[in-house]
Amino acid sequence: MAETVTLLALFADIDPTVKAIDKLHEMGIADNKMDIISGIPFSHEMLGRPKVSTLVPRLAMGGAMLGLIAALFFIFGIPGLFPLHVGGQPVFPIPPLYIIGFEMIMLGLMGTAFLGLFLAGRFPSYEPKVYVPEISDGKIAVVFPCSDEMQPQFTDALMSLGAEQVRPVEAKTL
Amino acid sequence: MATMAESIVLPDASAGEHGDPREHLMLDPRPRGEMNAMVLESMHKTSKKFWGVVIFLVLTIAFALVGAWGYMIANGMGVTGLTRPEYWGIFIVNTVFWIGISHAGTFISALLRVMKYEVRRPFTRAAELMTTFGLVQAGISIFMHLGRVWLAYWLVPYPNVRTLWPNFHSPLMWDFMAINTYVIASTMYLFLPLLPDLAMARDRSTGWRKTFYRIISLGFRGTEAEWKHLKAAMNIFAFAIIPVMFSVHTIVSWDFAMATRPGWASSVFGPYFVIGALQSGIAAVLIVLFMIRSTMKNMKYFIRPEHFDFLGKLSLIVSMAWAYFFFNDYLVPWYGGDKFDKLLLDFHAHGPFAWVWVYMLIGNIVIPWAILWNKKWRRKPWLMLIVGIVINVAMWIERFVIIPVSLTITRMPFTWRLYHPSIEIPLTIGTFALFMLLYMLASRLIPMVPVWEVQEGQNAHTLRKVGKAEVTSVSEVD
Repeated sequence: MAETVTLLALFADIDPTVKAIDKLHEMGIADNKMDIISGIPFSHEMLGRPKVSTLVPRLAMGGAMLGLIAALFFIFGIPGLFPLHVGGQPVFPIPPLYIIGFEMIMLGLMGTAFLGLFLAGRFPSYEPKVYVPEISDGKIAVVFPCSDEMQPQFTDALMSLGAEQVRPVEAKTL
Repeated sequence: MATMAESIVLPDASAGEHGDPREHLMLDPRPRGEMNAMVLESMHKTSKKFWGVVIFLVLTIAFALVGAWGYMIANGMGVTGLTRPEYWGIFIVNTVFWIGISHAGTFISALLRVMKYEVRRPFTRAAELMTTFGLVQAGISIFMHLGRVWLAYWLVPYPNVRTLWPNFHSPLMWDFMAINTYVIASTMYLFLPLLPDLAMARDRSTGWRKTFYRIISLGFRGTEAEWKHLKAAMNIFAFAIIPVMFSVHTIVSWDFAMATRPGWASSVFGPYFVIGALQSGIAAVLIVLFMIRSTMKNMKYFIRPEHFDFLGKLSLIVSMAWAYFFFNDYLVPWYGGDKFDKLLLDFHAHGPFAWVWVYMLIGNIVIPWAILWNKKWRRKPWLMLIVGIVINVAMWIERFVIIPVSLTITRMPFTWRLYHPSIEIPLTIGTFALFMLLYMLASRLIPMVPVWEVQEGQNAHTLRKVGKAEVTSVSEVD
């Protein structure tokens, strides 16, 4: 039975990368088997890849709701438990609700957006991963698995499309 | 290998709009690897002069901040110049000033990001760092004002044996909530776009730096999913932190405006404070950019006259807005004819502190308007440094006029007394020294330029021929 290797092809620019992705599709590599790693963000439209969904906005909305609940507790719960009479103002003042409510909603929204990045991106993650430092030098890496015997065909195809190098890689500590 | 700052030859800064397009950073691209090396070299190469300044700042902090604060804690607030009627003095002036400085980071970074101003790209980090470290100074200043600083935790709403809870009717409590929200949010906002740059530093570091960057880059590689999550979070922050920024200084203004004191009870205080914060914050960015450009290697490539030009224009507009709000705040009480309001206005303009009031107007209006209208002058970094310093001194004085000077005139004339700061002066020097120290140390650990954002911007810029002229064309990539 043929061994499976992970190949990493490095490109200097997005245009040859996109051609390489199309070629890999033709050669039977499905989108979900491929990873594109880059030093700057490229949209899925630019790469011609399926849309990547993210949980971050939904988590942030949940955080905003939590913030609102905390604000309601501060404004209605606390004066209910420990009433403070401030001259001329009701025990449950409405205008300050907007202020405390706004701050708590925003804190909840941004706090969970930040934590959402950790959850959705699975950060921090220090286990070995497929990566080469040239990526943060601006290169674009296309990573995909292939069988040992198909490696020369993939290498030739990607080199002819402008890959700077195509090589087998193993996951290692970053 | 990175290019040394001295060897960078930039096109003529006075070339103007139709001069050499390479005067614009976005149209003068270099390979990403080279830009990475330039930024890392600026972090790693540290001169003896740098450490000399660090030692000087540490000693200043030890004496002026730690020593003086310790003395104040041991002897009580009686060692300050605070007494009736000026219960709020320079500590509150410093708090408002530093919160104002902190507004620049959010304004420059978030607002310009939302509006897709490409010129922002190389200096957002410098501005964001100012926000974080400015808020540290604001926090320290308010703790000084508390006096019994060890009881600061009483501000935190939690059940306790005294069955006392903070009073949510109070503007001071709103302030506590708003500033804490802003501190937490701006620190997170600093970290988000930093993540890819930390990964870049990780890939090129050795020894303790490698370990440090490996831990704080969290294992970021730049996969499609990671970029997607990061961009989504950055987008949420960029939109959400702008109203928080406005709310913070508005609520700070309500600490004053909610009191029925002459000079304070003003409905225009909210926007007046916000615009004042932007005035001092943008001026502080000018100072910081000049320091980064002139003291750190290779930064002349990233921070260019075009950036001073842009910030100069922004500063001019904000200065005009400040003048508008100042006049509003002046005219209404002047017209209203309240006896104590009139006395206060007269005290500002003709009292013993009249010279600072006059300087406030010169520094905030006359000098910015006289200099910043001129494009050639806006492109001279040394001149923009001077303008930045003049505005910031004027803005500190503005808060001094609003707080202790205005507190002198109360509705009970028998309490009138001039404010004479004492231990507040070394403590103020201490907070400035701490800000500089934190910034200098951070400049050795954190890439001061978001290289990935610069590369992204350079990829989006091209020159296009329109008739006989070549004009800049920008593709919307983010």
